Amino acid sequence: MNADLEQNFIKLLSENQNLIHKVCRIYTSDVDNHNDLFQEITIQLWKAYPKFRGESKFTTWAYRVALNTAITIFRKNSKIQITDDYEKHSFVIAQEEYNNEEEEQLKLMYQAIHQLNDIEKALIFMYLEDKDYQEISETLGISEVNARVKMNRIKTKLKKILNP
Amino acid sequence: MKELDLLKKDWKKNETNFQQISSQEIYKMLHGNSSSVVKWILIISLLEFAFWLSISFLFSNDAYIKTIQKENLVLFFDVLNYINYAVILIFIYFFYKNYKKISVVSSTRQLMSDILKTRKTVNYYVLYNISLFTIGFIGGILMISLSTSILNNAFKTTESSLLFVLVCLGMLLFCVTILWLFYKLLYGFLLKKLHTNYSELKKIDFD
Repeated sequence: MNADLEQNFIKLLSENQNLIHKVCRIYTSDVDNHNDLFQEITIQLWKAYPKFRGESKFTTWAYRVALNTAITIFRKNSKIQITDDYEKHSFVIAQEEYNNEEEEQLKLMYQAIHQLNDIEKALIFMYLEDKDYQEISETLGISEVNARVKMNRIKTKLKKILNP
Repeated sequence: MKELDLLKKDWKKNETNFQQISSQEIYKMLHGNSSSVVKWILIISLLEFAFWLSISFLFSNDAYIKTIQKENLVLFFDVLNYINYAVILIFIYFFYKNYKKISVVSSTRQLMSDILKTRKTVNYYVLYNISLFTIGFIGGILMISLSTSILNNAFKTTESSLLFVLVCLGMLLFCVTILWLFYKLLYGFLLKKLHTNYSELKKIDFD
């Protein structure tokens, strides 16, 4: 593959890397796994890049590859264990803007999300990203109606985890 | 759900707070090693094709058949051999076709189904080889029994012939079980996550 293509790709990825970080944030719970998944997504994006024709936006295309990598082809399974180290290292919660109660709620919420299965995580991720149900259903390959039903079930599930 | 709203607010607020990875690091990553399940399936599948192919060459019974000097039998095994090679080629063609179809840009469900299809092709190939191995094993024993007198003793009484058949079957069962366990272990390990997620995704549409 030629050097120009590589340079272009690195530039695009570098500018849009937060997108990948966000997927890693949902699917991994420590720094090592975060970095491993980031690397795997980067490799998969790069491998698929020559076929990227720019018909869709780079980010839309990258979302799909990143989610597919996390759900389907990334081989390592991250253990459910959120270390304080991870919170500090890779994702800084802007604590000063929340009161204590909200801060606690947020922490519990992130922990609850890490207890969901991979598919549920994908739905929550796209919900947080403000994706509409059409895009969610196309990305996952399920019907729009069922994506909606599932989303409501996940909300109920999260409620149960938070208030057992 | 107010917790979810709070989370969304926080999510938006923090979406640029990740430690940034430099272009140099990205460059290094591009040339790093992938630990993708697709890569491993490809490697293992190719090894399987190579393994069973070499088995069929190594344990070729041509030389032995020629010593029996029965032309019909030689012809029969020759034809069987060619059919076998044709079948192997068909398997490799389907494997390659399925593998090429795997695209990380497909929908998650399509991607999973394509990966599993590739695996299925190789599983059928392995099953085919185990069946061939079984037939060869039984055929081999029959051939030896017919052309030598070694086994005449074994078939002297009903009990001894029964014992002989049982021992042969036991050996066969043992070999096949070992192979089956090996595959179960290998792919159970490799495909567990994929299977779980695939059935989870299918459940959404069928519940």
